[in-house]
Amino acid sequence: MVLRPTGRDVKAIGWGIGRVVLGVGLLMTVPLLTSICCGEWDASLDFLVSALACLTFWLSMEVLCGRHEDLTWYQGMVVTSGGWLAATLLGAVPHWLSGHFSSYLDAVFDVMSGYTTTGLFLLQDLDHLSHGMNMWRHLLSYAGGQGIIVIALTFLFAGSSGALRIYVAEGKEERLLPNVISTSRAIWRISLTYFAVGVAFLWVALIREGMTAGRGFLHSTWLFMGAWSTGGFAPQALNLLYYHSFLVEVLTLGIFVLGSFNFALHFAAWSGNRREIWRNVEWRSFMVTLLTASLIMSVGFGKKGLYSDLIMYFRRGLYNLLSAHTTTGNSNVYSVSFLKDYGFPAMAAVMMAMAVGASACSTGGGFKNLRMGILFRSVRQDVRRILSPESSVVEEKIHHIKDTWLDDALVRGAAFIVLCYVVLYFAGGVLGSIFGYPPSVAFFDSISAGSNTGLSAGLVAPAMPAPLKVFYVFSMWAGRLEFVSVFALAGFLGAFLKGRRARGA
Amino acid sequence: MSSRPAFFLLACSLAVLLVSLLTGGYCLAQEGLSRGSEKWPEGDRISIRDLIENLEHYDGKVVVIEGEVVGDVMRRRGGAWITVNDDPYSERSLEEGGEFAGVTNIGIGVWIGLDMAEQIQVTGGYKSKGDRVRVVGVFHRVCREHGGDTDIHAVSLEVLEKGRPIRHALHWWKLLLAAFLSGVALILWRWRGIRRPKEIEQKLDLG
Repeated sequence: MVLRPTGRDVKAIGWGIGRVVLGVGLLMTVPLLTSICCGEWDASLDFLVSALACLTFWLSMEVLCGRHEDLTWYQGMVVTSGGWLAATLLGAVPHWLSGHFSSYLDAVFDVMSGYTTTGLFLLQDLDHLSHGMNMWRHLLSYAGGQGIIVIALTFLFAGSSGALRIYVAEGKEERLLPNVISTSRAIWRISLTYFAVGVAFLWVALIREGMTAGRGFLHSTWLFMGAWSTGGFAPQALNLLYYHSFLVEVLTLGIFVLGSFNFALHFAAWSGNRREIWRNVEWRSFMVTLLTASLIMSVGFGKKGLYSDLIMYFRRGLYNLLSAHTTTGNSNVYSVSFLKDYGFPAMAAVMMAMAVGASACSTGGGFKNLRMGILFRSVRQDVRRILSPESSVVEEKIHHIKDTWLDDALVRGAAFIVLCYVVLYFAGGVLGSIFGYPPSVAFFDSISAGSNTGLSAGLVAPAMPAPLKVFYVFSMWAGRLEFVSVFALAGFLGAFLKGRRARGA
Repeated sequence: MSSRPAFFLLACSLAVLLVSLLTGGYCLAQEGLSRGSEKWPEGDRISIRDLIENLEHYDGKVVVIEGEVVGDVMRRRGGAWITVNDDPYSERSLEEGGEFAGVTNIGIGVWIGLDMAEQIQVTGGYKSKGDRVRVVGVFHRVCREHGGDTDIHAVSLEVLEKGRPIRHALHWWKLLLAAFLSGVALILWRWRGIRRPKEIEQKLDLG
């Protein structure tokens, strides 16, 4: 029996969503200060108006809903999915005010792409965009990579017992430390340390490659945010192709590979447990899929014969393949090159890498290496069972921070999420084909959106049909939240319509 | 047991290396496919979109493009990189009040000599309209000199129109909106301040 949500449920959810939106408003102070420092007065007004809109929304929720710190699991799930939607709608205000979007839907598309670290964009005339707006685009992606809920947890939910529920609902199941607030803060510590080191390296590299110190600093900050979050945004329309630099490509590659690993793995390495890196099932799964994809790509490149030396293979092939596998989306080739220069086998390798994606509890998307590892071990277990005597007991375990025995619930959970992703990728591909795009392009971009990668074979453009834009927004959102909290939101809305009123409510 | 992870890592690394070497060898054997493209005499101006959509056709040919220099002039050893856009925004950007064209920017990297780089004074961005240039150069679908970039190596560069600053008018309605929202936020803040002590009182009563 489904119970209709009570007034207290609605108020608790409203309160939680208000806090998430406040977090977005506070984030806007960074691009606001950037615009002021760069003398971009009109852009700074855009951020002032938007931050005030977020503040007003939060205060309205506080006044209307009161204070509810003890969220239930159900409420936590709905706060997460609803919080993402509210944060997207309000986060799109500066985009819309910037005058670079032909519709509010386009602005929402870009913000969802940023939060979900996808990297697809419909913004027009990027090369004339203000520094403040560029800061906002990349900051969205950086914050989204850590999880906007993690931000809210770190600063706005301190001491709340509902914190764990919304943390888990954001697709992060692991706690590095016993307390979820401490875990969120540990994630920030790790990210900010890498940020300082990564920006310094990129800055030196960009100055060496001919940029001025000032622009080099801004570009290094944005490139780091885009790469570490596996968002793949860049401040110029040509993305990484703009820099024509092997050094910058090597650095960004290192950053997005690091960013795609599980925060728990980073934490284990930081705590001195370096052996974990080699034993971890996610790392092993990553290596196996990378190897398979690079083998397929090699065959494709060999048939085409365009990228004909190791440097080209590394820069045009492996770089984009790793960008796909880590679901980053940084690219140093034109969109049409995937279709025309790569050839079908290499393009299929990139699609496979995107679909599998990065690590669980990281900034990446896709099936996740952990689930692939679980499913592979499960298949191996079944094969071993068939080959063993009937009386023998065959068990399999996976190592991810600690050893875990495989059981049916674990395998079923992993298989269900993978199935959801497959359905999402397929639906987007079919829809794109219905709208007249070549199937290879439609499926490529659909997988890219659903796995939060951001590479495009040419479908995603401001002129794409509005229904496809809406589907892609949904695809990025559902893919990033790994479906469960999206189902919770759907259940919440369904319960409103069909649920029974609880006794005494 | 402890040697197994190390062995696995070593095996994977060796395999990736082996695949890369095999690919390199195989591709080198097929190099003839992409070499030997003829250079055509200077032709009419073509759009960058046309270039990108017909990579194979224009590969190795002399092309002429016209557009706005955006971003940076990145000086390196023996030359400099510039980016030239010829989309509708290179004529009139959105910051100047240009119309939406339904596209993102369309541009290409151009490798120019250091003497040519001296001619470029203004590059396009939020605050400026970049120099408008005419470039004659050789188009490379996959440039061997630059690690496989799709680029143009300029033979000549001419500045057609000097760049200029872009004036951004302050939108007063945004200031008014900010003032209005500040007022609403202030009222809500006061209201919240009045409500909270009442809530605490209620909780204490329940306790």
